[in-house]
Amino acid sequence: MSELAEALAGLNEDYVTKIVQRKVTAGEDPECILAELRQGMDIVGARHKKGEYFLGELVFSGEIFKNAMKTIEPRLAKNQSGKEQVKLVLGTVKGDIHNIGKDIVGNLLKIAGFDVYDLGIDVPKNAFVKKLKETDAAILGMSGLLTPSFEAMKETVEALKTAGLRYKVKVIVGGGIVTELVRKHCGADAWTDDGIKGVEICRAWAQEMKK
Amino acid sequence: MLKETMTRKERIISAVNLKVPDRVPVAMWMIQFPLRYKGIPQSLGYKDPVVTIKALTDTFHDLGGYDGQIQGDSIWPSSSWRISAAPTPMHRPGQEGEENEALQAVEREIMTVEDYDKIIAKGWNGFCEEFLPRVTGRSLDKIDASQKKLLKVYVEDAKKWNGIDVPVMFGASTCDCQMILSLCRSFSKFTFDLYRIPDKVQAVMDAMVDDLIQNVINDSRATGIPWVFFPLERGSGAYYSLKIWERLGYPYLKRMVDAFVAEGLTTILHFDTDWTLNLPYLRDLPRTKCICELDSKTDIFKAKKILKDHMCIMGDVPASLLSLGTPEDVTAYCEKLIDVVGVGGGFILSTGCECPIDAKFENVKAMIDTAKNYACQIFPQ
Ligand code: B12
Repeated sequence: MSELAEALAGLNEDYVTKIVQRKVTAGEDPECILAELRQGMDIVGARHKKGEYFLGELVFSGEIFKNAMKTIEPRLAKNQSGKEQVKLVLGTVKGDIHNIGKDIVGNLLKIAGFDVYDLGIDVPKNAFVKKLKETDAAILGMSGLLTPSFEAMKETVEALKTAGLRYKVKVIVGGGIVTELVRKHCGADAWTDDGIKGVEICRAWAQEMKK
Repeated sequence: MLKETMTRKERIISAVNLKVPDRVPVAMWMIQFPLRYKGIPQSLGYKDPVVTIKALTDTFHDLGGYDGQIQGDSIWPSSSWRISAAPTPMHRPGQEGEENEALQAVEREIMTVEDYDKIIAKGWNGFCEEFLPRVTGRSLDKIDASQKKLLKVYVEDAKKWNGIDVPVMFGASTCDCQMILSLCRSFSKFTFDLYRIPDKVQAVMDAMVDDLIQNVINDSRATGIPWVFFPLERGSGAYYSLKIWERLGYPYLKRMVDAFVAEGLTTILHFDTDWTLNLPYLRDLPRTKCICELDSKTDIFKAKKILKDHMCIMGDVPASLLSLGTPEDVTAYCEKLIDVVGVGGGFILSTGCECPIDAKFENVKAMIDTAKNYACQIFPQ
């Protein structure tokens, strides 16, 4: 494991900043730095799977990763990472203004390599449809923390059908009290009350799509 | 109907004391649901206490009654401006939101890292002298006057419940240090603080915990209701490691609960989200002085195994089941709870968190009726 990957996996923020600075100043290939950072994030993911790391460690490592990216991003070739990224539209549904969980899962998805279009909170069904059409995104992620949001999720899935998009867009619903009953009610493909599981589901879909 | 030989209060107290009551008691936390069910705009319900208490008690009767009213009305009673909670801005029905919409919190960073030093220097209440006016735009005098007015209404409403033999299980409230700071800093920022500056966070908690305790004691004396409602929603093992919990979560919880016990108070530990990993620690809290209230995310069956001879369990009919399920689904869920968690006593049937605004009436009724009709089919070992 590289020094940088290890520093990130160990949540050693200052050290990550130092190494990235050093590498950039030395003129190292930013692609290689990015690869090492990704390796660090993979280790974080593995530790989470083993029960050693929790949501907190994922959120914090995501922050360290994001800050490191600020340093190397301007030096990365423009289209490099965009090529293979699967597009995903995300938002909290109409009537619901909870953003915490959605923002976290949005960051986790970005780090996992998705091209995330976050429409924010209180998003009307037509705004979801419009964005899906515009971006040709393959996945729709809807967040909601309140029971009345289940109706808004259902209406959005209906709107996707009306717009002729449902067959090509995978839909996942998430939030603290979302269950299988909720998934069925709104006609989604998957559900989760855990952001990390949500990312895994989207990753599996992305892999299928690439086949 | 099962034969009833106890009053509602006796039934609840017996469950808290881990005895086997005549039947499983059922307690409700609901404000939004009765308003909607009675066709009253949410906005009016939160503004007009007379309308609210009528909607609550009418719904109680329509449901055929139940054993405990968790919160007497929509008020969080406090005897002064000193609150043991985060002044999180709210998206209120009829104000920021539509007339009939559910109340929602607007979480944003209302406290900076610099504020930590102020808490360390002045304690929580001292800090709030500056913090509350800054966040709410209202003077301390105004906040104080409004709290005192609301407290009077709350005490009157509690009397109305007692008048129909229903105990109110909420005489004061507090959040834990972790939850207050997480809501004030916002979830992500507070998480960063836990890793970047844990020593400072600990110093902040040390500086605030005694004020939180004193506020609760003052408030419970003012209402005369010996119950503390204690939401813990941001420190569970679903979010943070046990290492963090052992340092910044549990010690403060223990200190607070011990102080409440010394004051003769019973505490409802309102554990929303998944606390399964943290359950073993609860055995170290004083026996029969707290209720472990779950919202269906914690494994309630595991909770029973761990806490059965130590702490009463309350919960955990899921919000989505009450909103989307059928009465048959709800009945089956509650029967299982009564069988597995109700066995040997020490269980109060309730909704996970507040009963959802759009719960189906027949589902809520099915839940309450199950407690009244269904006897545990399992015998204690
Ligand atoms: C903290 C909290 C509060 C805080 C405010 C938090 C906030 N910003 O709104 C306070 C104390 C102010 C509060 C107040 C109330 N609350 Co509250 N609260 C919670 C709690 C415990 C956690 C929510 C939270 O902050 N989670 C933190 C983030 C990180 O988690 P998350 O949002 O679940 O997101 C994660 C996953 O779900 C997932 N995810 C989320 N979205 C998506 C989307 C996709 C696509 C994917 C893949 C994944 C994903 O990824 C995230 C990371 O893992 C939940 C309980 C619960 N089990 O969720 C209740 C809950 C939201 N509250 C509830 C209630 C009833 C209330 C009150 C009405 C109570 C009252 N009478 O005062 C008020 C006002 C309403 C409100 N919530 O705004 C209910 C709402 C359900 C309902 N009945 O409609 C809940 C669900 C509790 C329950 N079990 O019933 N609450």
